[in-house]
Amino acid sequence: MEDLPAHDSWKQWFQSHGPKLLLCARQWTRSAADAEDIVQDAFVRFWRRQRHLPGEPMALLVTSVRRAALDRARGDDRRVRREDFAFAGDREAFAEFASGLEADERRLALEEALGRLPPEQREVLVLKIWAELTFEQIGRELGLSPNTAASRYRYALAALRQELTAADCHG
Amino acid sequence: MDDELKALETELRSLRPAPVPDRLWRRVAAALDEAPARPAPIADLRWLWSVALPAAAAAALMIWQPGVRPPAGEPLALGGGAATLRPVAAENVLVRARDEGFVTLDDGTTARRERLVFLDTITWSNPRTNVSLTWTVPREEVRVVPVSFQ
Repeated sequence: MEDLPAHDSWKQWFQSHGPKLLLCARQWTRSAADAEDIVQDAFVRFWRRQRHLPGEPMALLVTSVRRAALDRARGDDRRVRREDFAFAGDREAFAEFASGLEADERRLALEEALGRLPPEQREVLVLKIWAELTFEQIGRELGLSPNTAASRYRYALAALRQELTAADCHG
Repeated sequence: MDDELKALETELRSLRPAPVPDRLWRRVAAALDEAPARPAPIADLRWLWSVALPAAAAAALMIWQPGVRPPAGEPLALGGGAATLRPVAAENVLVRARDEGFVTLDDGTTARRERLVFLDTITWSNPRTNVSLTWTVPREEVRVVPVSFQ
């Protein structure tokens, strides 16, 4: 991850990290609007007051986003337990990845397969691949041991491979 | 992890998360570029000074160490050199939230305005000398969130 001091404006930093942060927020919210609200609050607070704090900025922001999402879910009187927080279903349809001209079919297949992953595997995958957190950071964030986080990650990849292979076979 | 999974991992890394929508850009820009919020009326927050002032006094006492003088030739500096004070903790506590209801923005859209009062505390410390400084200040935040009735 790039060092924060290399960026001289919030726009540069948000340009490169905002999409990743929004993707993370989507794992814990029911709608795109909720995710955007949470990312806005977390990022504005971070940029104004927390960016000079020691530690990994992305890890700090992910923590902030997850807590805000948890608070919002509680505020909405949704029965969400902390250890089972990732939303399993009934999420609003939303394009989570950028569309490219090349290999768009493959991207869609990957995105669909990602959407079918168990939520506890999907959140680990997102935090590892796109938020670029270590297993230790993911474990701390989700209240898991680093080994459990790594196992979930491997299960997620294996499940994705299986999904994609089955999709290829069927055509 | 076998090669096939590594290839899949590489493929996933090549997927770019969807860009931040323009509306979110505009909202973040408005929040970051706006002038600092005006402080809340003194009458409302007078009690907060009873927290902030003792904290400031305690911080001053921690820094001012009677009878301790720096060795000759060494400059007198805050905590052995102001630059060595590092932030070690930060928290903000929501002390009051008020929903001010719906407002109409300049462009005619409807939004909900919420006024939140936080107590921010930041602690700096010098790991070499154990000198620490705690700064506590009340902060008011006004959030204007567009609403849709569809």
